[in-house]
Formats: sequence, structure tokens, C-alpha cells
Amino acid sequence: MLRIDNLTCGYGSFLAMSDLSLTLRPGTITGLLGANGAGKSSTLMCIAGHVAAKAGQVYFGERDVTGLTPTERVRQGIAISPEGRRLFKDLTVEDNLRVGGLIHPAAEFKRDRDRVIDLFPRLGERITSIAGNLSGGEQQMLAIGRALMARPQLMMIDELSLGLMPKVIDLCYRALLTLRDEGMTILLVEQNTDRVMGVADDICVLESGRRVWSGSAAAARNDPTLSAAFLGLH
Amino acid sequence: MLYVELIAQGLVQGCIYAAIALGLTLVYGLLRILHVAHAALFTLGAYIGVLTTNATGSLALAFVAAMLVSGVAGVAVFRLGYQPILNRPPFVALIASIGLYIAAEEIFRIVFGASGLSFVAAPLQSQVPIFGGLQFKQAEIAVMLGTALIIAVLAYLQNRTRIGVACQATVSDPQMAESFGVSLQMVRDINFFVGSALAAFAGVWVGLLNNLVEPTMGSVPAYKALAIIVLGGLGSVQGTLLAALTLGIIESFGTIYLGKVLDRNAIAFAFLIAVLLVRPQGMFASK
Repeated sequence: MLRIDNLTCGYGSFLAMSDLSLTLRPGTITGLLGANGAGKSSTLMCIAGHVAAKAGQVYFGERDVTGLTPTERVRQGIAISPEGRRLFKDLTVEDNLRVGGLIHPAAEFKRDRDRVIDLFPRLGERITSIAGNLSGGEQQMLAIGRALMARPQLMMIDELSLGLMPKVIDLCYRALLTLRDEGMTILLVEQNTDRVMGVADDICVLESGRRVWSGSAAAARNDPTLSAAFLGLH
Repeated sequence: MLYVELIAQGLVQGCIYAAIALGLTLVYGLLRILHVAHAALFTLGAYIGVLTTNATGSLALAFVAAMLVSGVAGVAVFRLGYQPILNRPPFVALIASIGLYIAAEEIFRIVFGASGLSFVAAPLQSQVPIFGGLQFKQAEIAVMLGTALIIAVLAYLQNRTRIGVACQATVSDPQMAESFGVSLQMVRDINFFVGSALAAFAGVWVGLLNNLVEPTMGSVPAYKALAIIVLGGLGSVQGTLLAALTLGIIESFGTIYLGKVLDRNAIAFAFLIAVLLVRPQGMFASK
């Protein structure tokens, strides 16, 4: 689905990620873990095309998408729910979803919107509300919903559970499992290691802009050094 | 009755301010540029308006021609003037904008002459009785109706069409908008076209109401429109509209009650200073 070969990216002379290689299997959830500053969010923004790659390649399917713009990547099927959600805060929930689906014909908006509302019924109740007035949980649902409107094959979500109540986190994670079961590939950045380990098929651990471990989630759980040093699992 | 007349006169002036300042606030909201050269597009619109009316006798055609020419010129100003320096600090664009305005004034002087142009047979000049002896020029009534119509159309396009929603999303977060397929180039071109067409709309009305179009006619509106968008809360469309109408009415009353100590333009800036002392964020901004 997605293959990253020796990717290096950053801002100016600062390298946020160096020499990362990673493969995402279709229809799986991959957890990208690491402490603050490990390079997780920059990696996601680089895959989405917002941060330029300084070296290496990103392949989506068979296609090298490294040089494509963010718009071209979303058209290829890569969507992101970014750090801080970055909703269009003065627009309504419906208009946020409308922007998410701009790459598809207007006539198909209603069908896609209803699919998002099926996943997050709360958004249906708040459809005319201004996004900036939503609760944190509702905003997270909207950020995911907006990305889903693009009908991505690969969905990247940054800090899904940050600042949310456990009940809302449960709801969002259930939605992710539904999407995975429908065949979507998900790359999930999280600080909440327990949560990720509960749903992820594969894990990649970053430290100071470098990959320090990757493999299946089951292998991660059984690796005592990794569990103690990086995952905080005991 | 005097108050009613003053309010009505203030609304006429406020509508013209609104049309000029809306274009300015659209540009500021999108690019954070204080687009002083906007006033040159206002003047260009006025010239195209008077020339087209004198040539064809049709005011409607004059509006269409003025708005189209200024709209296209606005896009050219963006692409040639601002786009190459978008990554520089905002004051670079401000200086470029002031330079563009000064250059445009001189071009108008060279091309159309320093003494200005008038309508050969200015349309909509007859008086219309409203009520209680109150009378308005047809042009003044048309300014109010025309501005209300154009703002209603813009509001519809902005809120009810995909391109309008895309424009709003771009103002909110250009990077995210782009990642969902919005073309930033197209949105910026549209913003400059619409904003400049609005300036031309105001320019034609000002030329008609004063029956004079001259190279320097944009100077006062340039700085007054900046004052209005600050009053309204920078980048706020609704705030700009309300500030424009409020300023028109304040000026209208001020010329009667403060006319001996302050002229019309000084009243506007005294009001701006007074408001900013109390609400530095502008009259209608929340923070």
C-alpha cells in the first residue's frame, strides 16, 4: 500500500526525520510511536506532501508520489487528519465535510456525508454548528470525517486521543476498527501507547528522528526491552 | 426629519465605503496584505465607467465594463506585484502596494489628463421624493439598492457554492484547504477579481455622484478603507460591512455637528482613533 524508502525530511536545515524506511500493509493499522520531537508528525506531513522530502522516496501502490503536491496526493487516495485537527473553524460541520469532498463531484457529496454521519452520528446532530464551537471530541470526529470525505485508501491520523475523554476515545477507536475492516489502511500517530497497542497490527517506533524498531504489534508486545524502554508497557 | 436625512445620507456614503473596503478585507483575510493599490482599481473603474457611459450612453454597460476591467487588472496586480513577494515579510508587500498606487495615479494623469473627466450627460441625477418632503437623487437610491444586491449575491456565492466554501476554507487554513484539493492560485485570483470589481463598482458610483473622475480620487478612499477594515476587525467581512455603514453615518452627523472644527475626513480618523483606544481589536471583532 505505502512504501517509504530511506526518507529524510525536515524544515530548513533541521532534519525532523532521517533515513526512514517503512511499509504499510493494505487493510492494516500501523501505530507510529515515539516521544515528543521523535519526528512522528513531520513524517505524516511529509507523506501528505506538506513537508518536502530531502532524500528518499514515498511509493503509494506502484506510484512514486514523492514529488506530488498535497492536492495530487489526496487525489491518489492519501488523506490526513493532522496534529491539532486544523478544522476550518469558522465553517459549519457540513461545510468542513464539503471541503473534504471537493475532489469528488458535488452530486456525490450527500452520499459521502451520510457515510461519515453513519460512522459518527454526533456529527449529524451538529451538522449546522460552527466547527470552532464543537467540543474536543466532536472536533476530532469532524477532522476524521473531513478526511474520509476524500474517500482515501490511506488515512493518517495524528494524536487521535490527545485531550479527549475516554468515552470519546473509545468511540473514535471503534470507528478506526470499522474503517480497517472495510479495507482502509491507517497510519496512526499516538502518545497513548496502550491504546495503539490495543488496535494496531504493526508498530514503528521513532526516536530523535530515526526509526528504532518496527514490526508486528504482537512482536512489540513480546519484546521486553522495547516494551520497557519505548512503549511504557510492563 | 433632519436625523432621518442624515442617516440616509450616511447610508449612501456607507454603501460606497462598504464596496471599497470589502475588496480590501477579502485580500487581507486571504493574504494578510494591506492592499493600498486597491484604490487604484477603484479609480480605474471610475475612468472606465465615465468613458463607457460617454461613449455608449449606457450606465449598465459602464458598470459591466468597469468591473470586468478592474477585476482583470486586480488579478494582474496580484500575479505580477504580490505573488513574487508572498514569502517576504508583510511590510514588503505594503511598500510595493503603496508604490503601485503612486505609479497608477501618475499613469492616470498621463493617460487621462490631470483635470479629470465628467459625464457628458450624467444619468440618474433627478430628485425622487421619498416621504415627508425628503428627496434623494436617483443615483443615491441606486447606490443603496445596488450595494445591497451585490452583497446579497456575494453572500449567496460565498455560503452556498463549493467555490465560495473553498474560498472561506482557504482564508481559514490555506495548507489544509490545499490538501483537500483547493487550488490556492484559483482562490487568490477569484478574490482579487471580485475585490477589484467591487472597488470599480464603488468608483463608478463616486464618479457619478460627484460627476468628476480624477487621478487622485482614490487617495482618500485608500486610507479610509484601511481605517474601515481596522474598525471592523481585520479580515472580518461582516465587521467591515458594519464599520463602513457606521462610519458613513458618523461622518454624515459629524459634518453637521462638528463641521466647524473638523472636516469630513478628519471626523473619520478621529472616530477611528477613539474606537481603537477603547477596542484595539476593532469594533466588531471578538478578540
